[in-house]
Amino acid sequence: MESKIKITSFDDGIVVKISGELDSSKTSLYKEKIHQSMRTFGPRYMIWDLKDLTFLDSSGIGLILGRYNEIEKIRGVMGLVGLNAYSRKIISISGLFQIIKEYSSIKEFMKEEKINQ
Amino acid sequence: MSNSMELKFKASISNELLARQAIVAFISPINPTYEEIGEYKTIVSEAVSNSIIHGYHFDASKDVYLKATILEDEVEIIIRDYGVGIKNLEEAKMPHFTTRPDLERAGMGLTIIETLSDSFSISSVEGMGVKLIIRKKYSLDKTCDEQRV
Repeated sequence: MESKIKITSFDDGIVVKISGELDSSKTSLYKEKIHQSMRTFGPRYMIWDLKDLTFLDSSGIGLILGRYNEIEKIRGVMGLVGLNAYSRKIISISGLFQIIKEYSSIKEFMKEEKINQ
Repeated sequence: MSNSMELKFKASISNELLARQAIVAFISPINPTYEEIGEYKTIVSEAVSNSIIHGYHFDASKDVYLKATILEDEVEIIIRDYGVGIKNLEEAKMPHFTTRPDLERAGMGLTIIETLSDSFSISSVEGMGVKLIIRKKYSLDKTCDEQRV
């Protein structure tokens, strides 16, 4: 399945939705697209919606980690939603859960971070 | 059900997909679960991208070799390149170690391969490439609640 990225914005943040197989052939392009949105919206919150992600390896982990470092710099908050068992496993092995939290839904992220919808 | 295959392809990032699809097709007789399929794909992708990025520095004129064998209770995967090799294997295996932080690959490739496989060995001679041998157990009798393809 071909990978696609869709970035939507809300009040103070963006939702990055990635579907299909995310590998090294896509990560530089996606990094650029996310940076574009970051320049446009100046988000404090970044939510990764990985519900339709079917493949993940360390290049995808690096993409998330790189953006985490940027969001962290401006004291923002990042969250992961829609993880399937396989994505959760890869993310867990990489140690990403030590710094980025998983939420059951975008709604729950908003609620926990007290974001007005 | 013993079977084996060998695949030689150019060191181009777009061939990671080819390598993943090849391994998925090859292991289909062992009736893998969705999770196992994901694990095999990640293992192969990590190894192949290491060869392309670190072994050959994106030189697509070079070749990467993928060999797989279905044994009695495990699958053996060998990924081989004839690139620059690894200077310090112990260092390379450390989580978060990378020689290319600019590429944002997290330095997790070998850690992920090691975690997802049952046994894993890496050998390298500087200037003569890297050989990874990965073994992963399988069972044909799966409980009913496991997802099948």
